[in-house]
Amino acid sequence: MRTLIFAAGLTIAALPALAGDHRVAPVRDALVQKECGQCHMTFQPGLLPAASWERMMDKLADHYGDNAAVSAEKGAAIRAYLTANAGRDRRGGTPSRITEARWFTHEHDFPAPVWKRPEVVTKSNCPACHQGAEQGLYDDD
Amino acid sequence: MQPKTQMRLVRLWHAALVGGFAVAYLTGDEDTYAMHLFSGWLVVGLVALRFILPLKLNRPNRPRYFTWSILAALGMAGAAAVSGVGADVLPWLEDLHEGLAEMSLWVALAHVAAALVVFKGRKWLARLKPTAVVGALVLLLAASQTALAADAARDAILATYAGQAKAENPAFAGFSAQRGEALYRAKNSVNPDAASCAACHTDDPTRAGRHVKTGRVIEPVAVSANPKRFTDAEKVEERFVRDCKSILGRACSATEKGDYVTFMASR
Ligand code: HEC
Ligand code: HEC
Ligand code: HEC
Repeated sequence: MRTLIFAAGLTIAALPALAGDHRVAPVRDALVQKECGQCHMTFQPGLLPAASWERMMDKLADHYGDNAAVSAEKGAAIRAYLTANAGRDRRGGTPSRITEARWFTHEHDFPAPVWKRPEVVTKSNCPACHQGAEQGLYDDD
Repeated sequence: MQPKTQMRLVRLWHAALVGGFAVAYLTGDEDTYAMHLFSGWLVVGLVALRFILPLKLNRPNRPRYFTWSILAALGMAGAAAVSGVGADVLPWLEDLHEGLAEMSLWVALAHVAAALVVFKGRKWLARLKPTAVVGALVLLLAASQTALAADAARDAILATYAGQAKAENPAFAGFSAQRGEALYRAKNSVNPDAASCAACHTDDPTRAGRHVKTGRVIEPVAVSANPKRFTDAEKVEERFVRDCKSILGRACSATEKGDYVTFMASR
């Protein structure tokens, strides 16, 4: 009986594994979560190709008008994680923003009022519309 | 093994399980991650041990519902702990882990209630004393340690800024929450998106803020509302460098940094 209950617990614990299909691999690196998840959600490396990340990491002091500079040591570790887990170049091109990638504009072809909703603020605020964004879940709605 | 020795060992096991579960439950946030991990693994180990060892204790007249409460408590604690171990590798298990952990507390409380009914009065006290004492001690220690550790870390950061402030200005005579508040609310004209610290951290620092450019929700910065604030020296310094530069257009002095932290600690 005891083993049965334990086994049931394990089965419940494993259930979500069957549900997750369309997911972008979530960020598992504590340094990246800490340094790149303060001003906005920690964007998953799979959302941009390696060349885009390289370019971004080259000029963190001028990061979309903000200063996101980190020490050289941290920068190297973050760069290594982002490029190693980067997405494929989807139909070529190395966009400097996720929100400028072709697949993004294609999936998010909404009328202007949608982007003007007060909680949205900017296109890059993925969690405003995708509750599971931080976990890499974007097919929730 | 003597039945008496066996009973003692079971009580010891029970005390360790209660302690481990309590610590794991109380440290379920990032700050005390090492403690959370350790106690979580302890629970996994202890629950597994109970299922592995084929102990048959001689317990006449134990009501059915009590046996069930034991099985439920063990099963839930085990499931919560195992899902936690899983969530360490697969972050998306996190929600399930939190759900199971919350549920397991109620199941454990139900088990305590059942035990209260079964071993009422002195008999119960005599039986549970070692468990209760060890459990309560571990609980108290864990709770006080986490709060004290945060305060100590913040004090150390303030002490560092005080040392620098003296070096900057020999007349330095301590930090001021009022000056910190003035800095927090002062309107500047450097950044077109955010005129003051309050622009992102909100007029009321005990409330959650929002990054004006990215829309990101920022947890409250007042210490009373968020005890984790100003406890990670490296992060605090990094943010002062960034936020002072981008809002004031210059670096903050050590006095200003200490004033700011003192203001937030007073809120
Ligand atoms: C000091 C605050 C800050 C930090 C720290 C920061 N960013 Fe940003 N980031 C911004 C701002 C502001 C934007 C622009 C947002 C917008 O315009 O929607 C941005 C935009 C981005 C974008 C583009 C989003 C889009 O529009 O597609 C990416 C990708 C990004 N950041 C990655 C990172 C990475 C990687 C790090 C860690 C090395 C990082 N950021 C750290 C402030 C920051
Ligand atoms: C204004 C709300 C909004 C914002 C902000 C937003 N999205 Fe979306 N996104 C949507 C909606 C709605 C859909 C569904 C479109 C459809 O099904 O046709 C979608 C679809 C997607 C999809 C396709 C999901 C699938 O499998 O069907 C991805 C991937 C995605 N978004 C990623 C992002 C990322 C990354 C960001 C932030 C950089 C973001 N979104 C920001 C509303 C938003
Ligand atoms: C553009 C938005 C924005 C403005 C304006 C802003 N901050 Fe911040 N601040 C942030 C973000 C984002 C964080 C990191 C997220 C977090 O810690 O929750 C942060 C964190 C901090 C921290 C670290 C707190 C801790 O617990 O480690 C300090 C210190 C800080 N800010 C000081 C200031 C000061 C001083 C000003 C005004 C001169 C200011 N901020 C204005 C966005 C802002």
